[in-house]
Amino acid sequence: METRPVINPIPPVRLYRINAGSCNGCDVELAATAAVASFDVERLGCCYSESPAEADIVLITGPLTLRVKDKVLRLHGEVPKPKVTVAVGVCPISGGVFRDSYAVAGPADDYLPVDVNVPGCPPHPRAILAGIAKAAALWRELSGCGQTLPEPAVPGSYDEDAAAPLGLRGKMRFNAAACVGCRMCEHVCAGGAIRIDELGPGLRFTLWHNSCVFCGLCSHYCPTKALTVTDQWQLSHFQEDKFSLTEQGFIPFVACTGCGHIMLPATPELLRVSYRKTNPEIERLKTLCPECRQKQSLGGIRR
Amino acid sequence: MSGTVITLGPQQLALEEPMYFSVEVDGEIVVGLDVLAGHVHRGMEHLVMKRNFYQNITLLERLCSLCSNSHPSTFCTAVEELAGIRIPARAEYLRAIADEIKRISSHLFNCAIIAHIIGQGTLFKRVMEVREIMQDTKESIYGNRMDLAANCIGGVRYDLTPESAVYLGKQMERIKGPLEELYRIYATDHAIRTRTEGLGVLPNRDAINYAVVGPVARASGIDYDVRRKSPYWAYDRLRFQVAVEQAGDVRARAMVRLREAREAVSLIEQCLVDLPPGPLCSDTLPEIPAGETIAKSEAPRGELIYYLNTDGTDMPVRLKWRVPSYMNWDALQVMLKGQRVADIPLIVNSIDPCISCTDR
Ligand code: SF4
Ligand code: SF4
Repeated sequence: METRPVINPIPPVRLYRINAGSCNGCDVELAATAAVASFDVERLGCCYSESPAEADIVLITGPLTLRVKDKVLRLHGEVPKPKVTVAVGVCPISGGVFRDSYAVAGPADDYLPVDVNVPGCPPHPRAILAGIAKAAALWRELSGCGQTLPEPAVPGSYDEDAAAPLGLRGKMRFNAAACVGCRMCEHVCAGGAIRIDELGPGLRFTLWHNSCVFCGLCSHYCPTKALTVTDQWQLSHFQEDKFSLTEQGFIPFVACTGCGHIMLPATPELLRVSYRKTNPEIERLKTLCPECRQKQSLGGIRR
Repeated sequence: MSGTVITLGPQQLALEEPMYFSVEVDGEIVVGLDVLAGHVHRGMEHLVMKRNFYQNITLLERLCSLCSNSHPSTFCTAVEELAGIRIPARAEYLRAIADEIKRISSHLFNCAIIAHIIGQGTLFKRVMEVREIMQDTKESIYGNRMDLAANCIGGVRYDLTPESAVYLGKQMERIKGPLEELYRIYATDHAIRTRTEGLGVLPNRDAINYAVVGPVARASGIDYDVRRKSPYWAYDRLRFQVAVEQAGDVRARAMVRLREAREAVSLIEQCLVDLPPGPLCSDTLPEIPAGETIAKSEAPRGELIYYLNTDGTDMPVRLKWRVPSYMNWDALQVMLKGQRVADIPLIVNSIDPCISCTDR
């Protein structure tokens, strides 16, 4: 047996993992938090436990398939109170790309109390660590051994301000001023994270980060690049913020200068993509609805 | 025959995913087994028919995260076949690069698990650290450590800039030494040899009968690799050896994977040298006509086949796949018979089973 000098008198917070039908992406990343020095959960004063009865925090991955549901609930039930539950990856949070399948029972919080969510698909190990750090702090508070959280061995290894790894695909950003309302993003999004609906005087754009899998496909197909991928990957949050983690925008309709019919504005980005450079004629035509534009052009030829 | 039946789950089998075995034992010896599957069944065949082609690129990348690039790239190949699209030459190389990067990571993960089961904790951590070179590479070039989001219909949606190509080349240089070192350890280390040699043997004839694929087949002397037999993308222009071993045991399967990881490095380096200039994608929003087709590729776990049936709309009428792990499970019957119960985890992991693609 390996023996180690006891540096820290505080007993570690014990983590128990449950795979609720994941694609294994999150689980492989969790394995990294057990095996790779720079992501080691031990620096948070945590350790993995093989038995639910000897655990404090539950980490759930996967969308909670019907087939595993009862097993998962039983294992979760075996973890003694006060337990803290962390949903790792968008699967247990919203169903992710597997949402509305006949075989999926989740989201997990329909069946068990979830305390912390870690969006991502899969989330970066450092994002998972940030979620575990939140959960550990909460558990210490609930169990009455608070205030003694050990300092992480390497400061910044999980904190919110840590520099983003080079080129990481983080949450999406929406620029309403560039959106032409073509709905391509909504069409290509596998997670159903984007919704565009007509709301009185314009279009309302909503993107739920807890459904998004950070694939960047919406940005790829967006003709005006109104959607862009940012490097913000640190999104772990407490359950009460689950539904407020969104990106929103509003695209107001404008009135056609010819007939007054309401329409979507032609954004500068669209004109750049279509014509590269604009001229006074294009600038004038862009304020007209398609019908008036057609009339004008036809008239122009006749004259 | 005593016929005691025990049930083993992911915890006892050292699996990352929920898979259960019902094993019939006689004392300490395995006499029969049944695989209790379905825990990761997410209804994928149903889901793909409810999603359009674009959504399916992202959905299929999550069929299994260890082979995550093979699924969307093979799916896109099938769609392109139907639409009559030939992807640009540059995209052919970039798809091969993405697949080989994933192959190295996937094979190293399995080698790490094997070390873990043998009780070589230090080696387990060492392999995982070496694998981090590939994880960093994926993160820097593609933006995620598991799911690359590299493919789109008609080509790829990532590029290697001159700088990122240099970076990739450097990462390949970095990993060569460690890969050699791991190969040497798995080939010669006494403790590993005693645990893996002659264990879980799948003789060549059984390998053929069970139609196993990938490293499991090649470790039993079957010289079959889709990249060689029916080359796709850039593979007909790349030089590589198909790793074949004869022993058919746990050790041979590990050796095949480590040899393939080394070959993958060479493949990526060749791609970097030969990478042609030009566009990344042929046609952004092609019409997909009605029809049916098959596409296949060599995923890290073996031959992956996609069947796609379309009706001219933008959703598949039917999408079915034969995943590599599915073929390999059954051969465990042969590998496990007569082996000690204590060796079950090692033998099961030696086929590098993927439950999420088996159950989908
Ligand atoms: S969140 Fe994404 S990576 Fe994690 S299990 Fe679900 S599909 Fe896989
Ligand atoms: S990146 Fe865009 S397309 Fe992909 S899941 Fe998120 S919102 Fe949907």
